[in-house]
Amino acid sequence: MTPKIVCENISKFFIQKGKQRVHVLEDISLEVMNNEFLVILGPGQSGKSTLLRIIAGLETPTQGRVLKDGKEITGPGQDRGLVFQSYMLFFWRTVMGNVEIGLKLRGVEKKERRKIAQHYINLVGLEGFEKHFPHQLSGGMKQRVGIARAYANNPEIMLLDEPFGQLDAQTRMFMEKETERIWQTEKKTVIFVTNNIDEAIYLGDRIVTLKGKLPGRMDAIYDVPLPRPREHTDLEFVELRQMITDKSELVL
Amino acid sequence: MPYEEVKVKQPIIFKILAILSLLTFFGVWEFIVDAGIVPSTMLAAPSKVAILFVKKLTQANPDGATLGAHAWMSAKEAVTAYVLAIIVGVPLGLFMGWFKVVRGLARPIFEMIRPIPPIAWIPLCIFWFGIGIWGKVYIIWIAGIVPFTINSWVGVNMTDPALIQMARTYGATDWQIFTKICIPSALPMIFGALQISLAYCWTNLVGAELLAADKGLGFLIEMGRRLAMPEMVVLGMVCVGIGGALIGIVVDVLERRLLAGIRR
Amino acid sequence: MSNTIADEIVHHVKERQPLTIWSVLGNEYFLYCVSFISFLLIWHFIAAAGLLGLATPEATIKEMIRLMSVKLAGKNLFGHIWASSRRILIGFAIGAATGLPLGLFMALNRYVNAIVKPVFDLFKPMPPIAWISISILWFGIGEPSKVFIIVIGSFVPCVLNAYAGIRIIDPELYDVIRVLGGNRRQEIFYVSFPAALPALFAGIQISMSVAWTCVLAAELVSSRSGLGWIIIRGMKLTKPELVLGGMAVIAIVAWIFSAATSGIEKLLCPWKRGIKEL
Repeated sequence: MTPKIVCENISKFFIQKGKQRVHVLEDISLEVMNNEFLVILGPGQSGKSTLLRIIAGLETPTQGRVLKDGKEITGPGQDRGLVFQSYMLFFWRTVMGNVEIGLKLRGVEKKERRKIAQHYINLVGLEGFEKHFPHQLSGGMKQRVGIARAYANNPEIMLLDEPFGQLDAQTRMFMEKETERIWQTEKKTVIFVTNNIDEAIYLGDRIVTLKGKLPGRMDAIYDVPLPRPREHTDLEFVELRQMITDKSELVL
Repeated sequence: MPYEEVKVKQPIIFKILAILSLLTFFGVWEFIVDAGIVPSTMLAAPSKVAILFVKKLTQANPDGATLGAHAWMSAKEAVTAYVLAIIVGVPLGLFMGWFKVVRGLARPIFEMIRPIPPIAWIPLCIFWFGIGIWGKVYIIWIAGIVPFTINSWVGVNMTDPALIQMARTYGATDWQIFTKICIPSALPMIFGALQISLAYCWTNLVGAELLAADKGLGFLIEMGRRLAMPEMVVLGMVCVGIGGALIGIVVDVLERRLLAGIRR
Repeated sequence: MSNTIADEIVHHVKERQPLTIWSVLGNEYFLYCVSFISFLLIWHFIAAAGLLGLATPEATIKEMIRLMSVKLAGKNLFGHIWASSRRILIGFAIGAATGLPLGLFMALNRYVNAIVKPVFDLFKPMPPIAWISISILWFGIGEPSKVFIIVIGSFVPCVLNAYAGIRIIDPELYDVIRVLGGNRRQEIFYVSFPAALPALFAGIQISMSVAWTCVLAAELVSSRSGLGWIIIRGMKLTKPELVLGGMAVIAIVAWIFSAATSGIEKLLCPWKRGIKEL
């Protein structure tokens, strides 16, 4: 089976304040299989969001390239959906307006796009909130809209950039369960970026860890062979957690 | 974040465009007047304005005062009114924000007077003060006080309620909370009013001087019209623009210093 | 499901307070009435005592009621209100119709910005009122010279706010459109414009208040109609009731203008309705 996404020796430099060159990523190579749930785990400031943005096509790598189905990615496209850490909802649009925006951009007819959007609103459990504006929603609900918006555009690959970083612990756990449920309902290739080790083990088929401090480098890759749905208290879960903690520089 | 210093080439095209744009502006202006496309009774060429500027530095005629005297008069009026606006507006706003009784009593009057453009006070001011400096100071003061009052009021209102509750649990009195917590936390908002108020003051200063003055930059503009000397009108406008920009810079520096002082 | 959705419920239940003399005296609305009534009383007594050259509130109101039917320079009170309002509406419409697009263009295109901004910055610090004299030189003392000043006055805040409105948009919002497969034109139509709308309205509000200052200044300098003319007429005839009445009418009409703008903003920006404003 050929991998869905291939990152070949990606390095990235940023220019900030017009004259400071920051080395963000160094020599990242990884492969993502079709319908795989891959988690990229790294501490803050390890360049993991940048990696995701490069895969999304929002940034270009300074060196190396990203391939999707064997073709090089040159820019953002409808085949990859991104869920943002800070939600990035259109505050001037209702929940329905936000979810249907991708379809609207592609000129899908109103009746059709309402139907599709409604399907995904229901899928993320926001039935009855279609006419609400983002500021009327709680953090968890906002991110549900973000997920529905990306899903409604029917991408092949979902990219999630620390989607639950701003939520409180309880809502976060709940949203992880929901993410798994949604993914099980409509399988897609998922790349999920997080700094939370429990979240990584709970969700991932495989976990890629990045080393702390810039520039971000690959550390290790772990398979997570546990059956779903997983339990945080399972012995294997805890053992794997211990192993990753011991091996990596993650400070929790 | 670790980084190395590098040199990045900035596209120079935007600077060139900006300079070209300014040169074209002045070039076209000079040309349309010199070539007679716009009659010289309506607009003066920049060169003529520059000549008049040099002349007016020393000569008082034909409008009765040198440029320096006009500018000094305007600055005096503006600064006096501005300082008075701070002295009255800030405490008023602070008290309105914290004391219900003050708010209840002052707010209706404030809200009634606020929508009246300060210029509309000119006839009353002429009744009251004649065309001397105090009539204009009054009008500029009316203009300048509004932002100070509103911002101080909002600033007090935006005080973090947790801080106030914290102070209450430590047994602070109302007055202590007001002076030790509300006022300091309102300061950034108050500084925010410095620029807004200044812009209002300067606009209304020109209006007041156009209508009721015998000296000042606004008066210079109006005299230019009466004497049919467009170069004097333009000179006055330029001076008003430069004066406004200069005071703006001074206030901006002041504001930054003050804000830096708070953060420390 | 629902347990996570409604995770914030705020109770707005006020405790019942016993009705005491102090709670009545301290009530905000009671104080408003006290303030308003004493304002009128003090005004009345100062005027009645012949101080400060004021007219009493009663005389002022009577004069305004009289003006509703009696014509002054060919127009009754409403005619003069319309004269001023018409100038504002025309001038403002031209100023906003040119200023808002210019500000948007400047923010969206670096070339337009590089060319226009230096010249715009030359004019920015110049108060619109300073244009009155040159406007009269150009257009005479008729309608166009007054409209011109209002155009200038409303133009500048419109440009500034449209420009700032685009510039403060979080660039990541554009990324949303890009990842969903949208192009640059769609970024502008689906993000730039709606996200800048509240800032545009802020510009319009400022423009309105500047426009009122401008129209009054223009009418005070030279005119034969309008609310500014009424107060200057009152001054020349030494009729303080005319001056004060004119000021009161100006305040009311200017207030209506700004309230109407807020109303339109609420209509066009429904997402702002739920957000409490100070």
